[in-house]
Amino acid sequence: MPKAKFSPVTGRYVTIEVEGDEYKVFYLENGSGQPIVCQHTAGCHNHQWRGLLEDEEFTQNYRVIAYDLPRHGKSDPPLNQEWWKEEYKLTADFYTKFIVTLCDALELENPIFMGSSFGGNVALQLALYYPDRFDAVIPVEAADHSPGFYLDWWQHPHANAAQVCASGVWDLMAPQSPDKDRWATWFYYSQGSEAFKGDLYFYSVDHDLRGKLDQIQGDKIKVVMLTGDYDYLTTPEDGRRTASQIKNAEFIEMVGIGHFPMSENHELFRSYLKEALEIISAANKAKA
Amino acid sequence: MAVAAEYEWSTRFQEENDRNEELSAHGKFFTCSYLLDMETKKILIRTHSGKIDTINVDPGPLDHYQFAIRASADTWRKFAMPTPPPMYHGIWAASFQGDMKLEGDLLVLMQNLRCLTAQLEILRVVGAPV
Repeated sequence: MPKAKFSPVTGRYVTIEVEGDEYKVFYLENGSGQPIVCQHTAGCHNHQWRGLLEDEEFTQNYRVIAYDLPRHGKSDPPLNQEWWKEEYKLTADFYTKFIVTLCDALELENPIFMGSSFGGNVALQLALYYPDRFDAVIPVEAADHSPGFYLDWWQHPHANAAQVCASGVWDLMAPQSPDKDRWATWFYYSQGSEAFKGDLYFYSVDHDLRGKLDQIQGDKIKVVMLTGDYDYLTTPEDGRRTASQIKNAEFIEMVGIGHFPMSENHELFRSYLKEALEIISAANKAKA
Repeated sequence: MAVAAEYEWSTRFQEENDRNEELSAHGKFFTCSYLLDMETKKILIRTHSGKIDTINVDPGPLDHYQFAIRASADTWRKFAMPTPPPMYHGIWAASFQGDMKLEGDLLVLMQNLRCLTAQLEILRVVGAPV
């Protein structure tokens, strides 16, 4: 018998309809308990959550679900559209509707939504527009506004887009994060260049919650924000400023980590995530 | 920096570059020339197929390069620390949040981004010459 070790993580497809379009969505999951729905970063896929998906301390109390957004990883572009004839530009409206439809399809009750970067920004959008659908959100490396990254360089035909995307986000990670995890993240980015720029349309253009954060019902949906000090796109100052304008929100600065904390250094990230989940749990107990 | 020290720095940079495993494995087409403007010192680095062709400390006004990376001496000193502090840990970070400027033919920079990133991290080993 060959040596083999099976992971408790399982993968599955679910086909859903969003705004009349059909999406076959791939997701990984492990654990039982309150669902934590995890969104990867722009131009990437759900392997960024590989550490959390196999972390028993979390999976014994939570059902961790990490999906691939359409056009990422194993989730194809819409099945019923000639998508190659249009420029891909992700909008806040579609993105939030997609996530809510997926949560409905999986019949998730009281889920916590957690996403990083453009996933963190959409967590803020969900808190604003769908406060009844989620128990709490954990926006990681997020801000009310994150301009400046919707660049033509991500798809310039005279450069190697895979390498530009992968090495273009290299500095978003802390240099002291483990090499093997930084390079795994780099590798994932080399696979996602076709969607990266369109994702960043949401991240840097369509997402703008300036002047709207006080409308988030922080007494209904708990918001706990996490930002690494090596993140040059959404700095701890940006996270702190954003959280300070949301009722009952908390902000935690993560030291020695960057923009892809769950992927570049899960061992360090997990202690901050534990703190965030404890805050959410305490808030729920106080409400009960 | 005295001439002897400049020579020693250039030699060390070249040695570290030419034995760098990542550049040896992926540098077949890494060929370009660029200027590192460090405020008090300018360095023109020419690379051919991943190996250092020449390192010209204090190039002349007509010496040609394809793009330039300019920042204060203080930024480069922090950039070149073994573990650089936040916002000094790469050319993107220091450009978005600090005083670093990327100038010239940025297409060439992007075409060589993977290997250029590895090459600039050699500064964390040999230090900044300012």
